[in-house]
Amino acid sequence: MTIHTKKLLAALAIAGVMATGAAQAGTLENLERERAIMLETLISPTMTPEERAAKVAVSKHRLVDLERMVLRDQSLVGKNRPVVRKAFENYDLTFLVHSAIEKDLVLLDHWLEQVGISTDSLMNARAGRR
Amino acid sequence: MQPISSSNRTIPSGLMAGIAFGICLFLVFFFATSSWASTPSWQPSASERLVKLPSNYLKKAIDRDFAESDLASALTDVNSRVQLKGQTLGDLQAAIDKAEGDVKIELRHQFLAEKQEFIKLMGEQQDMRRKQVETKIKLYERLLAKLERRGAGMTPTKAKLLDNQKAARERFEGTASGVDMAIFGSAAVSESRYSREYAKNMTAIEALVAAIKEHPMTAEPEINGQPVSKQDYLRQLIAENQARVAIVEQEENILGYMAKIVALDAMALSEEVAAEDIEDSGVTGEDGEVSLSAAVDFFVP
Repeated sequence: MTIHTKKLLAALAIAGVMATGAAQAGTLENLERERAIMLETLISPTMTPEERAAKVAVSKHRLVDLERMVLRDQSLVGKNRPVVRKAFENYDLTFLVHSAIEKDLVLLDHWLEQVGISTDSLMNARAGRR
Repeated sequence: MQPISSSNRTIPSGLMAGIAFGICLFLVFFFATSSWASTPSWQPSASERLVKLPSNYLKKAIDRDFAESDLASALTDVNSRVQLKGQTLGDLQAAIDKAEGDVKIELRHQFLAEKQEFIKLMGEQQDMRRKQVETKIKLYERLLAKLERRGAGMTPTKAKLLDNQKAARERFEGTASGVDMAIFGSAAVSESRYSREYAKNMTAIEALVAAIKEHPMTAEPEINGQPVSKQDYLRQLIAENQARVAIVEQEENILGYMAKIVALDAMALSEEVAAEDIEDSGVTGEDGEVSLSAAVDFFVP
């Protein structure tokens, strides 16, 4: 391999890395990331209630905007991709903040309800070996 | 005029000329109106640009494309020639009414020749009009097929996704103000920058959208005062052009009858001229037989 070929390959590799870095995440991807952070915050056992409340409040504001960006994003209309289909199949889970406020529920209660965990189901649950 | 001898009977040269004239006329007319005659072309393409154009603008764009074609300039040319030929026919007709004797016969002959030319030109014009209308129909059909293929890409999953997205937006619109009150209602929390900018831009967008809706170029096409879709509009254009093809076909029949009348006139004229020749010679009687008294001259030296 000549020195020129090596240089060319290196340049191509750098360009590839830069192109990957420059690729922008869509509105839906941003929402999913923020939602994951929010859920992690809600169920994190390492946080104090005060810490959690402060973090949830900040995240909630961001989520409201991100949910609206997704709902208004014209590029997603009719975009028949699995991630888009899944997102719009369940409004209550994807647009957590809007849905929780609409139902007048606390965010965590709303999410637990959506994933099928209720106080009764928790009370009836027992530890065991699967 | 000298008679031409045949094995069975004598046929005047005028009659022969008349028959030949009639046959030639039919042949000329046939070649002029048949598809063998080469006509200038117009080959528009059903481009994506045309598919995307607003319905009202679509027809104008196609008409403009036609106006720039060879076929359009040839049609304009033949139209003006038909008009001039019509004037010539009118002048000749007026002159025939005033003329007498040989001049009248000569003018009638010229009139027939000009009528033949007129029919030939009309045939060319009909060919071009038919070509124009048929090309338009093909183009509209291709555009319609393209539009329908776009709709055919709708799968059940995509349709469901669109339904879900529509329902989500409707649900969001119904709760947005409540969410705003819940999140940004307290004095401690200000509205996010996105919300502020979005609301500001939305006002501008709504004003622009309203202006676009009012713009004459985006006005939806109407049939009998009812707004119609692009597909319906294209179907309407196809139907209108098919009606024009039917009219052109009818006009071709009229032209055929005109040609027949010209041929009959030519035969009548030649018969008339032949009859005059026979009368002048005085060889035959009223029943067409050779009279003996006239034939005496052949025997007396």
